[in-house]
Amino acid sequence: MVDWKYSESIESADIVSIQKKYSNYIGGKFVEPKSKKYLNTVSPSTEEILAKVALSNEQDVNSAVKSARSGFETWSKLSPSQRSRYLFKIARLIQERSREFAVLESLDGGKPIKESRDFDLPQVAANFFYFAGWADKLDLSWSTKTLKPYGVVGQIIPWNFPLLMLAWKIAPALATGNTVVLKPAETTPLTALLFAEICEQAGLPAGVVNIVTGDGSTGSQIVNHKDINKIAFTGSTQVGKLIQKSLAGRDVGLTLELGGKAANIVYEDAAIDQAVEGVVNGIFFNQGHVCCAGSRLLLQESIHDQFISKLEKRMQSLRVGNPLDKNTDIGAINSKEQLDKITNLVNEGLEDGGELFQTECELPGNGFWFRPSLFTNVQPSYSIAREEIFGPVLTTLTFRTPEEAVEIANNTEYGLSAGVWTEKGSKILWTADRLDAGVVWANTFNKFDPSSPFGGYKESGFGREGGRHGLLSYLKASS
Amino acid sequence: MNVSNISMQWSDVLEMIYDSRIDAVGLNERVNSLATRSIKKESKLEALNMIVSMCDLTTLEGEDTEGKISQMVAKAIKPNPLDTSISSVAAVCVYPSLVSVAKEKVRNSNVNVAAVSSYFPSGQVPMESKLLDTKYAIDSGADEIDIVINRKAFLEGDFRKVFDEIVALKEVCKDVHLKTILEVGDLKTYENIRKASIISLAAGSDFIKTSTGKLSVGSSRQACYVMLKSVLDYEILTGVKAGIKVAGGIRDAKDAIRYLVMINEEMGSEWLNPDLFRFGASSLLDDVLKQIKKLKTGAYQASYYFPRG
Amino acid sequence: MIDIKKTYKNYVGGKYVRSESGKTYTQELKNEFYELPLTSKKDIRDAVTSSKEGYKKWSSATPYLRMQILYRLSEMIEGNKESYAELLMDHGLTKQKANKDIDEAIQNIVWFAGLADKWEQLAGNLNPVSEEYFNISHQNPIGVVFSLSGSAVSLNELLMSILPPLTVGCSVISYSEENSVLALKLAADINNSDFPSGSLNVLSGKFQNIINDVSKHVEINLIALHKELENQGLKAIEENASESVKRIFSQPSTDGLSSILPYLETKTVWHPKGT
Repeated sequence: MVDWKYSESIESADIVSIQKKYSNYIGGKFVEPKSKKYLNTVSPSTEEILAKVALSNEQDVNSAVKSARSGFETWSKLSPSQRSRYLFKIARLIQERSREFAVLESLDGGKPIKESRDFDLPQVAANFFYFAGWADKLDLSWSTKTLKPYGVVGQIIPWNFPLLMLAWKIAPALATGNTVVLKPAETTPLTALLFAEICEQAGLPAGVVNIVTGDGSTGSQIVNHKDINKIAFTGSTQVGKLIQKSLAGRDVGLTLELGGKAANIVYEDAAIDQAVEGVVNGIFFNQGHVCCAGSRLLLQESIHDQFISKLEKRMQSLRVGNPLDKNTDIGAINSKEQLDKITNLVNEGLEDGGELFQTECELPGNGFWFRPSLFTNVQPSYSIAREEIFGPVLTTLTFRTPEEAVEIANNTEYGLSAGVWTEKGSKILWTADRLDAGVVWANTFNKFDPSSPFGGYKESGFGREGGRHGLLSYLKASS
Repeated sequence: MNVSNISMQWSDVLEMIYDSRIDAVGLNERVNSLATRSIKKESKLEALNMIVSMCDLTTLEGEDTEGKISQMVAKAIKPNPLDTSISSVAAVCVYPSLVSVAKEKVRNSNVNVAAVSSYFPSGQVPMESKLLDTKYAIDSGADEIDIVINRKAFLEGDFRKVFDEIVALKEVCKDVHLKTILEVGDLKTYENIRKASIISLAAGSDFIKTSTGKLSVGSSRQACYVMLKSVLDYEILTGVKAGIKVAGGIRDAKDAIRYLVMINEEMGSEWLNPDLFRFGASSLLDDVLKQIKKLKTGAYQASYYFPRG
Repeated sequence: MIDIKKTYKNYVGGKYVRSESGKTYTQELKNEFYELPLTSKKDIRDAVTSSKEGYKKWSSATPYLRMQILYRLSEMIEGNKESYAELLMDHGLTKQKANKDIDEAIQNIVWFAGLADKWEQLAGNLNPVSEEYFNISHQNPIGVVFSLSGSAVSLNELLMSILPPLTVGCSVISYSEENSVLALKLAADINNSDFPSGSLNVLSGKFQNIINDVSKHVEINLIALHKELENQGLKAIEENASESVKRIFSQPSTDGLSSILPYLETKTVWHPKGT
């Protein structure tokens, strides 16, 4: 009997040259941290140390904010058309160096090269292209007379889509006339630092973009800085709340893009095979490290067994392994810390009484890995049905009527995204209207586009990124 | 190999047909995603060899003669005489009037003789004519029969007629392996392909086949995906494993490998054998042979190194 | 001679209610004393419960109906112009200023009424995504809005603190401190305008008393403050708000379209296009 195994097809890492040590990018130059301290960044698929990056302190942040302030003076004096040209240039340069960025992203963060090459990088370039085109026509965007940039914006981004999150932050901020101090996540700083090279290549005026690396303390320094006009944060709801609290009483703008526990609702009259694909994509894309992941499968009871059987079969063909292997579907978990979180929640699920299915696959020896997992026989009160796991773990709940589906879907403090699967058009629209979610994917999932606003209801945050509405995150209306 | 018979009640067939819901955009995305697999080195060589063993080397032209068939059969038995590690193909596929000469030339080999019938490719004649040319092909010694479904009846909504015709033709075939051609280029939508697949499977087809190769729109990986899902759903209901043949427009090895990837990941590697999967091929075989030689020698090849078929 | 003055009540759920605490506070206007409800935290709780119901009814009304109801409010006020002018003059405004204020107020109500069935066209749109998908960003009202009106005694400013959220379908709890008499008088016209009960509740009191209860109440989706707060009140509110990621707006713009933006949540819906 045939057992056709795919040979390794490794994307060469030669295209990237990783330095041993990185400095911050402040005022148009690479500057060693005043703190004199560094952090190691590790490849989660091998646990090998890739490089040292600066652990920035208060002085470093202060330096960055000062240069962003003077950068703002410069940036404001340019015409909108000139700002637009810089952004287009950056977009083009990213496109040209896409492969390099993709490989680096997979090495530093653990996601499969297939994703960073086919999803992350194209979206990054597209975001810069899209917002470049808004820079010189803001007056058309919203019919209000008095929208102005905030000034200096502090941006703190997560480790799940490092370069893409950078693009979602920097592109609109610059297009609307702001300047930025951006801190990439502790575990994934390298593509942001490579992006600094792009800024240099593009001749971006000094101080318009500043990149400081560090950990949570560095982030706090940015949030607490007296001369920041706005903070844009993407990360956990827990930290988002702390930031909102820190900014209380300070007249600093804020947008938050936080966690989620999205419901993926599959009605009995869905196109079942495509719904299976959508559910798989919803939770296993990017190892489930996605704020808008479809982590709760809400399945109409009448099709439960049939659907689960197809789902388990489909999960079995997911390939877990070396992120640089072009055939890998599921890469490494981003850090030991995250792996522990996932493991603990899964154990809780088992203790509560959930039934666990995991695919059979060999996991590499080194590195942080978790098999694609599916829980059935779950009650809405279990922690795996309520807490964000942020890993490749899907929890199944059942419903009987559309009203019940909506009720269960909305029964959470989160409200970022949701999925709806049915071939009946009126039911799609009815359901979408009632879901308290900033993004509703009907008969699809995990679709993104720079022109499409993204953001949450309730404790998933406020403000939108992308599209015409995304501009409002970086423009304030003066009375 | 399974001997299929009618294993579903007509009412069940109807239920399955009307339950057919497919989202085209989602399906295309899945098929395209499978096409990003990178098959290299040993796994590529393995794939190429599998493809050879799954080929039905085909000629269906008005100008076919005994001489032409003889050449093709020789190639079918020994695709590359300078590399004996390469197996024979699965079958040769010819018009009924060429079956006896093909049968004579394949003796002492493992190559089957498949014949198209039922007034291939259009099927636009009364049932008696279809039965007649099928009987003729079988009497001439065909091991396999490839028929076409009645698209006229299908598109008129007379699914029962489509079903009954296949049942009748299967009866004529008895133990002869029956492949039913859906002609996806005429059916157009994915739902139609699924419906036609189910009707054909329920009526006792051993294989469902994408195309006659006579239309500009031949096989597509999307059509194959719809068909394989139908085959799997049919297996769940009846326990019967039917096969799939893709034909028409598969020009190169790269594309053929993509089909194998799809079968491998959607169905499982136990479906990767000539009893359950076939390629209807003419130029495909040459490209596969070239690729095999390139893998073994490291150099790009020219077609004159390989015998004409 | 001290006249018996009307005791004003809060307006909640389409009814006039006293504060459950029984307490009131007094405002003196031109030698007359008005007793006003001193809203307690239980009153807030009840108001929110009513506003939740009101939100369901108001947001599911058609834009056309909302427009008509808002327009009716302008008709009501128009009909009561004289008594509003009198009250404003009691507060110390000149006759001229009072009439100007009322005219502006009516004009704005009419403007927002006409916006009720149009704002979605100005704030929502299709998005030109680069794959075969239908993609639309709707705007939806955020829910229950607590609006602290400004200290100026002005019918127009009071209404401008209510109209933007109301027009887009939010239910509003309008809270006044210094201009409570005016607000609670307005409640009578609101009552006559067919607003679904709970869609617009009007309360009075000392904001300091309830600042924590309001900023911590999870079912208030947004707090809009139309005046500056003392004693770091804004800081306290924003800190409390962070516990549930509540949206806080301090002195939001009342300029045209930007006045409604804070009260909207964008929902983007995707659907494939295929055969």
